[in-house]
Amino acid sequence: MASFQLVWRNLMRRPLRSLLTILSLAVAIFLICGLRSLITTLNAGVAAADNRRMAVMSKTGLFVELPIKYQATLDRLPGVEMTTKFQWFGGYYRSQKNFFAQFAIDPANLFEMYPECKVSAEEQAAFLGDRTSCIIGDVLASDFGWKVGDNVPLIGALHPHPDNKAWEFRVAGIYHSSAPNFDNRTMFFHWDYFEKTLEANGVTPGVGVFSMRVAQGSDVAAIKLAVEQAFEDSEQRVACETEADFQRQFVTMFGNIPLFVGWIGGGVVLAILLASINTMLMSMREQTVEIGIQKALGFTDGAMFGLLIAQALFLCLVGGGLGIAVAALTQAPIATWMAATFPGYAITNGTFAFAALVTLLLGLAAGAVPAWRARNLRCVEALRGMD
Amino acid sequence: MTEAMIRVKGVTKTYKRGGESLRVLDRLGLEMEEGRFYALMGPSGSGKTTLLNLIGGLDVPDEGDLFVAGENLAELSSAELAHWRSRSVGFVFQGFNLIPVLSAFENVELPLKLTPLSRAERRQHAEHALKLVGLGDRMHHRPKQLSGGQEQRVAIARAIASDPKVILADEPTGDLDRKSADQVLELLVQLNREFKKTILMVTHDPHAANHAQSIVHLDKGQLGRIEELRPAAAAAR
Repeated sequence: MASFQLVWRNLMRRPLRSLLTILSLAVAIFLICGLRSLITTLNAGVAAADNRRMAVMSKTGLFVELPIKYQATLDRLPGVEMTTKFQWFGGYYRSQKNFFAQFAIDPANLFEMYPECKVSAEEQAAFLGDRTSCIIGDVLASDFGWKVGDNVPLIGALHPHPDNKAWEFRVAGIYHSSAPNFDNRTMFFHWDYFEKTLEANGVTPGVGVFSMRVAQGSDVAAIKLAVEQAFEDSEQRVACETEADFQRQFVTMFGNIPLFVGWIGGGVVLAILLASINTMLMSMREQTVEIGIQKALGFTDGAMFGLLIAQALFLCLVGGGLGIAVAALTQAPIATWMAATFPGYAITNGTFAFAALVTLLLGLAAGAVPAWRARNLRCVEALRGMD
Repeated sequence: MTEAMIRVKGVTKTYKRGGESLRVLDRLGLEMEEGRFYALMGPSGSGKTTLLNLIGGLDVPDEGDLFVAGENLAELSSAELAHWRSRSVGFVFQGFNLIPVLSAFENVELPLKLTPLSRAERRQHAEHALKLVGLGDRMHHRPKQLSGGQEQRVAIARAIASDPKVILADEPTGDLDRKSADQVLELLVQLNREFKKTILMVTHDPHAANHAQSIVHLDKGQLGRIEELRPAAAAAR
């Protein structure tokens, strides 16, 4: 068995080289954690989707609006319990760089349809009772320092206010989402306020997406078919998807992100593997005579294999451990920093375990070649410094 | 009659260099008694170091048998040979060959890690060996903080730490000044006289060889004359 003392002293023979290798490994494993978290965060919404909720949108695409009257038809279909409209507002606060999502919705059904949207009963009542009010996610509130009772003026970039002024929303409540499919950095406000304000200027708004909740035990496939058939001959044909499929569309909207991120991650791992092998080969070359000495003293070929593997493992475990620790420590600031573009960023335990496994495999792979060479070195040749 | 500690029977060793075969040892036969100090002399390329490596189990012959410290080395596997080396043979090299990242004490303790000794026992043995070679006050120095003579004495302490029967020394004074060389040779004589170690020392130096009890001459891979300088009980001082 390799002596820890010898492993440590050999690595400290060139402290700068070992430190740089450890830092490279730390950066690589940190990147692995981050890249994999992008995929898991994207997929978290799909995984957490409610199997009783379905989305109805234009068959043409998400950016084509549906008529409001479709909601009444949907409400009448067998198996549909309730619906709510979702319309992307696309406004901004003071400056366009202050981007966050805002939706006009039917407040009456929102909390029942989305139980993961947690807000106190008092604030819920305040929201339902004031048509110019809104509720905002706790992350959004924290980002802008908003609190209950504040007025939030938004410039309607997609839906300008008829009086050419900012839309005013009073914060009635701050919600916290208990599931990754419901974003904590969004504003929801009354459809009525939205519709009535626009109608004053003669504009009838459309609906981006109808969200439906179906009865427990419903045949989702049959409902999907019924919804799509109901509007087959209407002015806008519709597509009906389960919430999971709907979320999945967002994931694939940017192309095959998992494949792309996987390639980058694979490249990072390969690069650091080659760098680690190089470090270990240089280290082994420096130790050639000492390997011969130890074999002469009675250490077996297997012990020399173990010594080199232990050095590679130690280097990788320290570097990888550091990378994992930094990923864990920076998780919250990164989540805040990416909240606008990548809401819900989180490193799962599975990702930490994956990073630990990659670290372990890197150590074994980086040490395997030099360890095998050390094992097979003939004692007399090693003593002459011939590797 | 004293039993043979080292028996070399018909040993041949050939090296291939640049496509040419070079027979370094040619059907060599030799016996060395237990508890005796031998010097192995001969011109460069006569096969001295090769013979030493074969006796120490660091290399294997092409033909012939080697019986050292009660073992037929040909019958041992690689792992068994390593284990045998750890308990039966101590090596002293010309270039000292200490592990530079370990202190004198740690270098001497290193072979003891292959024994079942406890940590405290290892410490005791290593300290004793270093005191025996006169380096009790240099235990925690790294090799580069020691003189050449001191490094070689640490190497001798390492060679005797696990109490082997045979000590194999390859030009142990080759890199030393006369004073340090004499100290090292005195140590080897002391190990032979007081602890009955069988010592085989390769050397070019007649002065060093005169410290032995027998001088074995090798020439072109074959045994030459054997000079008996003195009996075992009266080694040179």
